[in-house]
Amino acid sequence: MIDHPYRPPPERPQRYFDTMPVADPLLDPITGFLNRKAGLRAAAILVAESNTSHTPLGAIWVDIDRFRQVNESFGHRGGDRVIALIAERIRTVVRHQCEYSRTGSDEFVLLVPAIDHADAEQLARRLLVEIERPLRIDTILIRPSASIGVAINQIGENPIALLERADRAMVEAKRQGGNRLVMSGDEPLTGRLGVHLAREELAIESALHAALESGGLRLDFQPILSRDGRVEAIEALMRCYANGQQVDPARFIPVAEKTGLIVRLGEWSLLQGTRCAARLCRQGTPTKLAINVSRAQLLSPRFIQALHGALICADVPPALIELELTESLIMDLSETVQANLRTTREVGVGLAIDDFGTGYSCLSNLKDLPATKLKLDRAFVGVLPDDRRSFAIVKAMTRLGQELGMIVVAEGVETCTQLAALAEAGVDASQGFLHARPMTEDALLAWMKQREQK
Amino acid sequence: MTEIADNVLSERPAIDRVLEQSLRDLDIPPRPLIIDRIKAEMGSASPNLRYVGQLISVDVSLAAGLIKTANSPYFGFRNRARSVHDALLMLGLDVTSRAVAAISLRQALPNNGQLERFWGASAQIAVLSSWLAQQTANPRLHAGDAYTYGLFRDCGIAVLLIRLPAYRQTLERANANTDLAFTAVEQQDFRTDHAMVGCLLAQNWWLPEEICLAIRHHHDRSAIDFFDSGLPASSRYLVAASQTAEHIVQQLTGGSRTQEWSKLGSSCLRLLRLAASDLPELYRGAEAVLATVD
Repeated sequence: MIDHPYRPPPERPQRYFDTMPVADPLLDPITGFLNRKAGLRAAAILVAESNTSHTPLGAIWVDIDRFRQVNESFGHRGGDRVIALIAERIRTVVRHQCEYSRTGSDEFVLLVPAIDHADAEQLARRLLVEIERPLRIDTILIRPSASIGVAINQIGENPIALLERADRAMVEAKRQGGNRLVMSGDEPLTGRLGVHLAREELAIESALHAALESGGLRLDFQPILSRDGRVEAIEALMRCYANGQQVDPARFIPVAEKTGLIVRLGEWSLLQGTRCAARLCRQGTPTKLAINVSRAQLLSPRFIQALHGALICADVPPALIELELTESLIMDLSETVQANLRTTREVGVGLAIDDFGTGYSCLSNLKDLPATKLKLDRAFVGVLPDDRRSFAIVKAMTRLGQELGMIVVAEGVETCTQLAALAEAGVDASQGFLHARPMTEDALLAWMKQREQK
Repeated sequence: MTEIADNVLSERPAIDRVLEQSLRDLDIPPRPLIIDRIKAEMGSASPNLRYVGQLISVDVSLAAGLIKTANSPYFGFRNRARSVHDALLMLGLDVTSRAVAAISLRQALPNNGQLERFWGASAQIAVLSSWLAQQTANPRLHAGDAYTYGLFRDCGIAVLLIRLPAYRQTLERANANTDLAFTAVEQQDFRTDHAMVGCLLAQNWWLPEEICLAIRHHHDRSAIDFFDSGLPASSRYLVAASQTAEHIVQQLTGGSRTQEWSKLGSSCLRLLRLAASDLPELYRGAEAVLATVD
């Protein structure tokens, strides 16, 4: 008799380990995504394919924000459940062909073939929204969020470099506070003054520096005429030129604010404005000069020193200077701003509120502001005299300003009928193309002299 | 400041009333056009030295000043410049534009006898600052910038002296004060200070932002002490180099009545990575450099 070749192993008690399914060596057991090792291998294959077929490949690096806190509050089992649920959400959002991998305890990398920059950005945004939905663990509702970095491979790039770029972008998203998306290449770079800037901001910063070092700033001047035809004041308007072309303030002001150059622009205007006031005095046509002041300047504790420095340098009486503040500035009157404005008034320098009526200023702030002049926004003037409702508002605002002891000025006057309507509304003075366009300093001096002689 | 304040205080000829009035009427000088033209040439692909030379030659005192600069032993040229063109070839356009700025600044503000020594002290500090910049070989501290900065750092004092007759007494008190920052004393009297006025003037002359900021904060210990003060690193190095240069000048010319080195010295040395024990050697080296400035 031949013995059966197979002999069952000796009986042994079943252990807990034996009840577990055999783990796939390539998959992460919690999410079913590729694990780190398999994910890297997939990246190598997909990058090689993308390089030969010349189709783009997107790497989306997702990192769950504050995941350690989740682990600490709910234990690792709770943490695993959160990861599993988020992985499920990721799978529902992505409708492209995609390799999912879990590369770390709270990190996922998605590799999406044939996706371009715009589509990848859109997909990542959808991921952000989906991940952010509240999630229930036991009885507690938590709100997860993620930081996402996206990189699109450049033909010929190796897989490690691609993943590193996505990772760097994710780290930047985290640095900016998390729950956001950064596309690789958009990470801020350090500007000349040591401030982080995005790539296109960097170009604007360097244009600003070029303007500041080559005499690229200029003040133009526009007169404000009172009802009886006198020159009530002159407003100084800053222009910025770089490489012979005028730079749009809407483009350079945000960068100037970020880098702190806004203070320099403001102080430059202050000195040039006071110098112009002094020149007007010397030629026998003393006139009040209105100079725009930014929020950043007023927030600086050295504002008063700059103001006095300019007044002393130019040797001009403070009563001939008026500072124009935008309405948005008065929305938020911090301690420093209020103190600076009070001191400004104590010295005898005037304060005008610019572009009044279209912002969100509340009247209680208006009450607290030691302003001497109210400038009504051009939006109300342009529709006069036909728009009777605007006319009513102009009339009411004029009354309001005058009752608070301010001179009321209308901006943007272009026609005689507008001027007549403003007179009817009781406005004290007006500014606009009807009276004069903004002009250079030399033109202004000549213009004033000519009026004087008449 | 302050070597400079000493000099101003030690000589006080009564200024004629008429002269005083004419000084008060003086406008703040804009940057001379010639500097813009030199900069424009520097920016072009093939700068035309002959053209720049012609521009400078139009102003005789400017031409003489530039030739003198090129012949100063500080630059160590063996040849002597005999013409503006020689000087241009020896100095290059960058140094030339800085030298022209220095000479023009001096010309632009009135030059009665008492300010003469003020400019002399500024020139010493400027040369020594740029020498220190070379010695420390810090990539963020450019010797040319240190020179320009040294010249402009205290120009606010010249303007305040012209504008405010009472400023002289304030300077004296600021020099003697051991507790308050120098500028705090000025602010008590005039609500402004020479650092702010100097910064405004530097902006008016279109100087780079780093130099303007360094002028604005050169008595501000917290701004130079802390890397996150908001002051760019290059500005902090400029302040440190010039304060150290001033201290060296004071040591070599027989001490001073000022307190600045006791307030800022340790911060400056730390920034420049120098130890107090390095100073004696610096004094010796500086003595040779200063001998070349007149």
